[in-house]
Amino acid sequence: MIGDRILGILMLLLAVAYGWEASQFPEPFGGSEAVGPETFPLLLAVIMGFASIYMIVKPDPDQEWPGTKTLFDLGFVLVLLLIFAALLAPLGFVISTTLMVSVLCWRMGAKPLPSGLTGLGSAVVIYLLFNFVLELHLPAGILKLT
Amino acid sequence: METMNFLLQGFAVALTPEHLMFAAIGAMLGTLIGALPGLGPANGVAILIPLAFSLGLSPAASMIMLTSVYAGAMYGGRISSILLNIPGDEPAMMTTLDGYPMAVKGKAAEALAISAIASFIGSLLATIGLIILAPILARFALHFGPAEYFALFSLAFATLGGVTGKNQVKTVVAAALGLMISTVGVDITTGNQRYTYNILELYEGVDFIIAIVGLFAVSELLFFIERHISEGAASATLNKLNLKMSDILHILPTSLRGSVLGFISGVLPGAGASLGSFISYSLEKRIVGAKGYFGEGDPRGVAAPEAGNNAAANGALVPMLTLGVPGSGTTAVLLAMLISLNVQPGPMLFTQNAELVWGVIAALLVGNLMLLVLNIPMVGVFVKLLSIPPKYLMPVVTLIAAVGIYSISNSALDLYFMVGFGLMGYLLRKLEVPLVPVILGMLLGPEMERSLRHALTISDGDWSILFSSGLSIGIWSVAILGLALPYILGPLLRRRMENARARMEVEEEAD
Repeated sequence: MIGDRILGILMLLLAVAYGWEASQFPEPFGGSEAVGPETFPLLLAVIMGFASIYMIVKPDPDQEWPGTKTLFDLGFVLVLLLIFAALLAPLGFVISTTLMVSVLCWRMGAKPLPSGLTGLGSAVVIYLLFNFVLELHLPAGILKLT
Repeated sequence: METMNFLLQGFAVALTPEHLMFAAIGAMLGTLIGALPGLGPANGVAILIPLAFSLGLSPAASMIMLTSVYAGAMYGGRISSILLNIPGDEPAMMTTLDGYPMAVKGKAAEALAISAIASFIGSLLATIGLIILAPILARFALHFGPAEYFALFSLAFATLGGVTGKNQVKTVVAAALGLMISTVGVDITTGNQRYTYNILELYEGVDFIIAIVGLFAVSELLFFIERHISEGAASATLNKLNLKMSDILHILPTSLRGSVLGFISGVLPGAGASLGSFISYSLEKRIVGAKGYFGEGDPRGVAAPEAGNNAAANGALVPMLTLGVPGSGTTAVLLAMLISLNVQPGPMLFTQNAELVWGVIAALLVGNLMLLVLNIPMVGVFVKLLSIPPKYLMPVVTLIAAVGIYSISNSALDLYFMVGFGLMGYLLRKLEVPLVPVILGMLLGPEMERSLRHALTISDGDWSILFSSGLSIGIWSVAILGLALPYILGPLLRRRMENARARMEVEEEAD
């Protein structure tokens, strides 16, 4: 119930903001015509508005949401992936991938040693595969030999 | 005759050594992806798109590889349905009804072989159907004007939930969300900036490949973590195959009937593979009647839904190729591939890119034959894959998805977007909002807007042009029917499918 209502309210806000912004588009070069850049967005805003009101009025029963601990785990994984993205270029592919995959395996319940080996193994194999077989260059980062 | 010529040309494309290799790689990877726990066909194709893209494969090679992946994943998916009674996706549900009892009786190898043969027949017949039907439909679609196209795109969204769809309003929300995302960027017609907030990266819009990978692959990882699935399935054992010619002949009529039904439901908007396998199974049960032992491991109970399922999957390519309107998640992902290769699907595809289309169609035939040959001797290897623990598998799959995205433009921003879409996909799935309409909205948005504008420019702003021809009124009626029908038929069909499964489980406990 509550989940659908929140989504409905968010989508209604989105529809209003999106539609309002569409109505503020500057007039295109060469004067306005019967249809412009705002026509389609306005149509979408109206449809989204009606659908989200329906969701607020008639929500479905909620699915079970995970407890705090699992939510923390999920947040941890998302942050881990973001850190991976940020470190990829500066640290290089092999190091950041080893870290990301190992920590992820460990969080999913594997023991530390096999996790580390999976991380290192997948990092090295994919690095070699991409750089030498597929010829797509992944960042070498601080491991650059030259 | 013309069609035969094109088909021969298609074989000339498909049978080059390079393309044969891509078909084989695709078939192998697809079966692998299908057999691995937690990776459906749409997911598998999604992960491979960025790779095909950044490797700079030609459109024909990419499409041949990805359609083989698609076919392979359907083959691979049934391994867990039969051996473990865990259907990989909804259409596979009917296969467990007789497949698992066969496995319990120690006939797992036969069940797998029968399902492979039935799938092959289903795909083969459906590809032939595609060859006959697609050019006709494409020629017919040349009569469509912008108003008809706008109606057709609406129809695609309206029927996407399928007859078994649960909450149609959520499909509408998802579609609107996807379409909204598609309007981000510089407007093609006027050059106006829309929703870019002066962020340079947004000028070209949001890349739907990133969205697809995030929505499918990353949200899948989050689901695995939420459910604490970390151990693999207990290793399943496989008996020695003992299949006689008479067994194959025994399931032949069933497979043929299932294929025809499956193909029809694949082509029809909104019916899809679930309905295909369900109808094939139910009809077969009715025809064979008391002579069969359905639900207790009748081989025909495996053959019917498998033939229907695969025929429907190939049938779904008909509207995708001829109209540019996909009817299922996986065909939507294939459409994404085509669009990102700058190939515009639709009726002109058959004239402008004849070589590509017929090459892909021929590759479907070749790929299916390859899969049949590959699957029967190698099924033992794939069975072993079932026991790979997800705690090692999912991180590596996520890595491959991320590397694929990164290799498109070497930008960390794309990865942030991917993670963002992953979170969005997780939340939407938790609220039972379907993801496919979001993706389809992003894909079809630009084309849909263009046809709306085109139509309204012709009529000088008069909206009634959208409902002015008989053809467009017809399409609109089907669209409305597609939105309304699930409310009437949906609960009924779902209940029947669930009842059939529940009955089986009760009987199993009684044994």
